[in-house]
Parts: sequence; C-alpha cells; structure tokens
Amino acid sequence: MPAVPSRAELLPGTLAMLVLKTLTVDTMHGYAIAQHIERLSNDVLRVQEGTLYPALQMMEVKGWVKSEWKLTPTKRRARYYAITAAGRKQLAQEAREFDRVVEAVGRVMQPA
Amino acid sequence: MSPMIDWMRGLWIRLRYYLFRARYDREMEEEMRFHLDLRAADNRQNGMSDVDARDAAARRFGNRTSLEEHRRAAVGFPTLDTLGQDLRYVVRAIRHAPGFSAMVVLTLGLGIGANAAMFGIVDRLLLRGPAHVVDPDRVVRVYVTQQDGDLGESTGSVVGFVTYSHLRDNAKDFEDLAVYARTEATVGRGADAHRIMLGRVSWNFFPMLGVRPALGRFFGADEDHLPQGENVIVLDEGYWKRAFAGDRGVLGRAMTVGGVTYTIVGIAPQGFTGVELERRDAWVPISLTYWGPGANWATGWDINWLQIVGRLKPGVSLEDVGSRATIAHRRAFDGPANHTMRTATLSAAPLRFNARAKEKTETRLSRWLVAVAAIMLLIACANVANLFLARATTRRREVAVRLALGIGRGRLIRLLVAESAVLGLIGGAAGLAVAYAGGRFVRAVLLPNVAWIDATVDLRVLGVTAVSAVVTGILVGLAPALQATRLELTSSLKSGIREGGAQRSRLRTALTITQAALSVVLLVGAGLFVRSLWNVYSLRLGLEPDRVMTVAFDWPTIVDRSDDARQRERFRQADFYVAALARVRAMPGVERAAVVVGTPFQSSNSTALRVPGRDSIPTLPGGDPLIRAVSDDYFATAGTRVLRGRAFTAADVSTSARVAVVNETMARTLWPNRDPVDECLLIDTMPCAQVVGVVEDARRFSLREEAAMQYYIPLGQERALGFGGRKLFVRPSGNGEGFPDRLRAELLRLDPGIGYVTVQSLQESLDPQIRPWRLGATMFGLFGVLALIVAAIGLYSVISYLVTQRAHELGVRIALGAQVGDIVGLVVRYGVGLAVAGVAIGTVIALNTARWIEPLLFETSPRNPWVFAGVMVVLLVVAVLASVIPAWRASRTDPIEALRAE
Repeated sequence: MPAVPSRAELLPGTLAMLVLKTLTVDTMHGYAIAQHIERLSNDVLRVQEGTLYPALQMMEVKGWVKSEWKLTPTKRRARYYAITAAGRKQLAQEAREFDRVVEAVGRVMQPA
Repeated sequence: MSPMIDWMRGLWIRLRYYLFRARYDREMEEEMRFHLDLRAADNRQNGMSDVDARDAAARRFGNRTSLEEHRRAAVGFPTLDTLGQDLRYVVRAIRHAPGFSAMVVLTLGLGIGANAAMFGIVDRLLLRGPAHVVDPDRVVRVYVTQQDGDLGESTGSVVGFVTYSHLRDNAKDFEDLAVYARTEATVGRGADAHRIMLGRVSWNFFPMLGVRPALGRFFGADEDHLPQGENVIVLDEGYWKRAFAGDRGVLGRAMTVGGVTYTIVGIAPQGFTGVELERRDAWVPISLTYWGPGANWATGWDINWLQIVGRLKPGVSLEDVGSRATIAHRRAFDGPANHTMRTATLSAAPLRFNARAKEKTETRLSRWLVAVAAIMLLIACANVANLFLARATTRRREVAVRLALGIGRGRLIRLLVAESAVLGLIGGAAGLAVAYAGGRFVRAVLLPNVAWIDATVDLRVLGVTAVSAVVTGILVGLAPALQATRLELTSSLKSGIREGGAQRSRLRTALTITQAALSVVLLVGAGLFVRSLWNVYSLRLGLEPDRVMTVAFDWPTIVDRSDDARQRERFRQADFYVAALARVRAMPGVERAAVVVGTPFQSSNSTALRVPGRDSIPTLPGGDPLIRAVSDDYFATAGTRVLRGRAFTAADVSTSARVAVVNETMARTLWPNRDPVDECLLIDTMPCAQVVGVVEDARRFSLREEAAMQYYIPLGQERALGFGGRKLFVRPSGNGEGFPDRLRAELLRLDPGIGYVTVQSLQESLDPQIRPWRLGATMFGLFGVLALIVAAIGLYSVISYLVTQRAHELGVRIALGAQVGDIVGLVVRYGVGLAVAGVAIGTVIALNTARWIEPLLFETSPRNPWVFAGVMVVLLVVAVLASVIPAWRASRTDPIEALRAE
C-alpha cells in the first residue's frame, strides 16, 4: 500500500475561517470550496465533506455568506456562495485570533 | 451591516427555513448530490471503477444521519421541532407516577385555587370598585370632622342636605357632587308584601358616576326638586327581571311602594349599586320625603341623613380638596353660631372607606387574606419542589442514562420543567374548582351583603389562575431540574440512588423547615382570630341577641301630612302593638314577649334630663344618656339582668305613676355610693319619674363601646316625647325553627291591613359587627389547616425519602442489634428536629408580624401566649405523626435485604 500522507483533522472552529478565506478569492460552490482548501493545504487539511454543508447553512444564517443557485460551466445547477461584509469582518477577527493561538503554541513548542 | 439588521436577517432566514423546510431539505439534498457526483467523477478520472468511485465519495462525505441532526441544530427551531416529543415524554412521565402526580396537582390546586378565590373577592372590593362607575378612582366620599366639646373629635360621612347644597355651589374641585341615602320599603300588602332596598339619590348621581340606563331613562333635575320631588322610580335590572319578568312594557306604568304610587321611568343596569357594594332594587329622587326626615330637611343643620359623593376634577389631590372644601363650607355656614358644624373640617376619601373615613374592616382583612393565600401558595410550591427533588433523586439513573446517550443538558432541563409546567396547568385547572367553591363560600357566608354580579370565576380570575399556574409550574420544576442534571455521569450510573444526596437533602431540609415556619405563621394568625371571635362571643352584652326575635311592621306611608292625621295614625299603631303583644304571648312556642321603643343596635333616643340636686348631668365618653320605653317583661325577654329593685310590670302603663329603671353606669355616675332606688329623674318637661330598679349595662350600638348611661321608662309614658319606632321583641322557646313564618302569619291574621312584617333575630343586627372576626377566623383557620396538611405531607415525604436513602445504614444498625425503639427514635428525632427548627423560625416571624393584624383583633394581644403555645404543640404533634409512619417502616427494614441491595 502506498504511503498515505497523514492528514490533520481540522481544528474545531477553523472550518468557518477557512471557508471564508476561500470565498475571498471568488464565489464558489461547496465542492469547489472543499477542493480549494485541500489543494492549498497540500492535502494536509481535509474537510469532512458532509459537515461542510451544515456549516455553510449556519454561516448563511449568521449572515457571513450569501448563496445563489447558478448553472455551472457544465450546465448543472449548483449553489454558489459569496462572502458578505459581515463575513469579511468575521474572517479578520478569526484570523487575528488564530494568529495569536499559533504564535502562542509555537512559543511553547520552541526548543528552550 | 449593523448587528440589528444582521440579527433580523438571521431570524428571517430561520423563519423561512422553518416555513419552507421541505424546499430547503430538497435544496441541500441537491447540493450534496452534486457534491458526490463531482467527487465520484474525480475519482473515476483517477482510475477507479464506477462503483468504487461512488463508494469512496460516499465514505469521504461521512455519515448522513448524524449530519442531519447537525444541520437541524444549526438552522432549525429546536424547541418547535422537539415539542411534540417533549409532550409525549411528559404525558408518559405523569402516567408513570400517578400518586406523585396526584399529590402535586392537589397541592398546587389548593395553593393556586386559594389565590384565585381571594383574587376574585379582592378584585371587586379593592381593585375595580362598584360596578358601572366610570373611572371610580376619581369618585370620592365627603367626610365631616366635628369638634364636640369634651367628647373630642368625631368623623362621619352622614350629613344634612344643607351641607351638600352649600358645598355643591361653592366647591370648585369637583366636576359634580351628588348625594345618596337608602331606605328599606315595602312593595305590596299583606301576605304578598316584600321588602325592597331603595336607593334615594339626587338626579345628578347617575351622570356623575357615568352610568347609563339599561332601558328608559334616569330621572332628571325637573323631577328632583325642592320642596318635594316627583313620584318617579327607576328599577334595578335584577329586580325588574324578578318582579316584572323583564317586561319592557313596565316603562310609564305605575308601581306602589310603601303606599305611594310611582311612575316607572327606567331600568338601571344589572348590578348597579351606586357607590356602595350592597344590593339596590330601585332608585327614587332624594327630594321625596315620605320616610322623613322632617319638614325643614333641606335647610336644617341638625338633620343628618345622607352622604355626599363627588367626582374630582383631574389632577387635584385629596388634601387640597379637603382644605378648600373646608373653607367653602365654613364661609357658607348659616346655622346657629354655637353649632359644631360651624367649625367642622371637611375631607374626602376613596369609596372603599367606611362611614367613619376608615378603610372598611372587610377591605383590610381581604388584603390580609390575599397575603395569606400567597403564603399558602408558597408553602404549596415548597412542597411540590420538595416532591420533585425527592423524585429527581430516584430518577438519577434515568437522568444519567439520558445524559450518557447524548441528550443535551438544556433539553433535559426543558423536559423536566415541561413536566412540572404541565402538572402546574393541571393543578391550575383543579385550582379553578377550588376557586369556584371557595369564592362562593366566602361570598355567601362571609360577605353576604355585597351584591356580587361577577361570576365567581370570571375572565380576570381565569387569567390570574392561568398565569399563576404556569409561573408556579415552571418555578417549581426549575430548581430540581437544575439540580438533577448537574451530575457526575459515571458515579451516578454506578451508585444509583444511594450516594451523592447530601447536598440535595440540605435543600429539601430547608424547604421543609420553611413550610413548617410558614404554617406556624398562618396558624398563629388563625389562633388570634379564633381567640378574638371567642372573646366576642363570650362578651357579656347585657342582652342575649341570639335569643331574641325582633318584629317590625311597615306601616303605610302617611300621605296626609297634617299633624292631626299623624297623631291619629300614631295612636292607632300604639293600640295595635298592645293587641299584638297579647296575641303573641298567647302563641305556643313563645316564652316571653315585649314591646320596645328604641331597638338596641338599631336605634336610640335621647332627651333633656335633669336630676334634683345636680347642676348638670356629667358627660361620659360613651355619649349622652339614652332613653328607651319598654313594656313589662322587657328585661326578661331581652336577657338583661335586674340588679336592684324591680322591673316594670303590667301595671306600669302610660297613665300610671311615672317610674324609671336605670342602668348600672347611670346609678354609679349620678348617685355614687348611694342606693338609686326612689331617686328622681326629671325627663324633658315631665314630672319626677321615680327610679324603681337598676339593670346591668346593655350594649347600645356596638361590641366595642365606652360605658354610657341608659334608662328605661314604661311603654306609653314616652308619648309626650314623640318617639317612634316600636318593635316587638319575642323570645321563642326552643330553637325557633320555622318560628318567623308562624309569627308573621299570626300577626297578619290580627290585622290583614298591616304592611310587611319583618321578623329577624336581634343577632342579625349584630352580625355585621362580628363578621370581620368570623371572616378572619374562618379564612385564617382554613388556610392554616391547609398549610398544616401540606407541611405534614412535606415532612412525611422528606422522612420517607430519608429512610429509603439511609436503608443501608439502618440495616447495618439493625444487624448490629439496634431495637425497634432505637430506629423509630432516631427517625422521629430527625423529623421533630426539622419541625422544631420550623416552629422556632415561624414563631419569630409571627411575633414580629402579628402586631400588624392587631387592629383587626378583638381584645386579643397579638402575642397571646396561649395561641403561640397551642400552635407549637399542634405542629410538634403533627411532626411526630408524620415521622412515626416512615420510622416504623424503617424499623422493619430487613438488614440482609438492605445490605444486599446495591
């Protein structure tokens, strides 16, 4: 069996941040969002795909994203998500928070 | 985007989601299918077979059913989603424990019902005021305070017409001022006659209060005028329905009341009672003077017979009204310079105040009873919370299993609270039954004079009941639910009910002690009122009102007002009484009978009095000397003891020698240290009346009154004084069952032309005075006993629970050789310990609060030691009884069973 690169489970609460970050690039449907995250993280971060859709719906309820049904280039109906102003604000806040945590963890883990 | 808009948008999306759930489900379904299709296509591109590609995609997507839950939680309304489920759970839980549920419903029903019943009473007495009065808060009664020489200040609302007419013309703080009085009158003759309660009011009484006629019209200014108004009458709707079967044709028809013919002009709306709460059957102009008060009624300053009510202009305070009305009154006063009204002070007070400007005792008591009902509800709540706590303990495993299976804590709390809320609602329904029965009881027995027009349970009572049921249900369940769900999962699953109860039982102990303490407070209140009532009944009145029937005749109104005609009528009546007395004395079932002018508790007369050798008669705090004219055998009939000398005999008549009997106070005051017999009284302008006897003091008007002089002269000798108002006193042998009817029939046979014959016990005149204490004793007693029962149940359940919880320990003790007595003692000591703590706290509270009800008591100290001691004993006995049963059960614990279990 080929060696499978170990994959990190997403830290709880980071999914929303990653989705929002992804949507700053362009409007996308759910599958594209999942692929985008995996690709950019060199397949390290793998979204548990089923949870993506409830998360998207939750984010829509909170007003961070909005959605629209459109046709894909292959003429299939798909729901496209776009980030809202509130979503950008939320992203900035979560990113700051994340940086602080990473920095803190990094400091702890540095060899003394 | 502002947070507000954000929130609104979120709400909108949620709502839309909920409303169009099917569409959203379809949409997400489509989204997911699209996702899986794309993933499978990618997989195929990476060289998988079609089936493998789909399987891999599905694996990667994850478990669909648990996702479903996630999604719902993120978007839906969980409360609505799971409501049906919760209700099913609640119904199951209630059916599962019928005994427990019944106990909760019963306790809450009593608590909520007591409150609803009291609310129904207070609503009319305090909150809403008399029916049909628009904005009753601005309607006030006018009071007059007079300085009366040595007697000091007296305040009253009964004044003369002249006070009213001056005030009406001069006081600027009122939108309008009106007057009212009331009179009982007879409709019909002979056997068909019945009495009605007449409201006598000035024409503007109706528009001032804002009431509208149900039919026809009220009388106007042109029908209510000096010196004598028109004979018009307005019927009460209730009376109209009873007496005329609601015939709309009665308007304009004639009706005879007290021998005078009136024209019916209108019907007042059902339940309109003016500014008081007592029944009125009809209304006539105040300027009709068939019932007195004499020729110069509109201008005389000594004729007090009506009350003034007025509607305040908006924004004026009661103080300002009083001071300005006083100025207006004094400026307009045109009576004699030495008249006490010249310097009188006027004031205004709300309608719920009585004739002496004090809040009516019933009203004050009702307010107290509301507090008592609230305490009762508190006790019920404590008890139910206790029951829930006890059950929460036995349900620890169930709760732990549910938590382990992943039910959210919030959801679990909701389930438990939903259960108590549902039980609260059922309790509320039971409470309505209690409110209905209790309300009817209080209305009929304790406040019979109020014309209750509202249904016993009306919409307002229903609303209050519903709200208190829901709030109580939720509160009662919340604390135990919070406690029950705060569990260490694993230890609870392992240990079951035995361990971990210490903290909870502390709360339960506190609740039990609280119940006991509150019961003590209520029982002390009950004891104080019962003691008051007992004092009232054991009071030596100098009369035996419960043994005496009074008989009054309603003579036809003398339409011919000439002195000659009046004199003739008076003699005719006097002769009738003599004949009636002889007839009644000969009746079987009559022990004694007498005739009296001036009935105790109802009327009195006084006149100028001198005693040879004294410059003046001393003034006593109790008032001027009263005179009554009585026939022979009066003292024995009334139950007044003769202390010295003799009573009147059949030989003492109008033409015989002038004699008198004085009461003890009079004898002591006028002839200290001397025998009053043979002394002389100079009554009015009559020759010397020789004192022939001394009788004990008899109450004149009320239970509480200062001693005063009172003297009696033979019937007939008062004719020169012009006193009227004779009554027959009859002392039936036996209990007088059916006696009034026989008496009435006998008298009508004697003279079919006499009007209505009123036969009532003298006690009935006294009852309104006793009623507050009876009301207090009954209601406090009822609530106290209920509270005691509930507290006993509470204690019993605590002890039972304790015994179950400590079965292990008790088993060990029994195994080690403890005897039945040891175990019973152990448990009972604990129960009594709780009760003692409750009694101690309750006693402290009662000692400090009882003084507030002191004004409502009758010659009873609010710290009466017997009452306190009695309550303590009762509570401790109940505590022992409530503990003994579980204690005995505990002593029979099979040690092997107990040790083996768990």
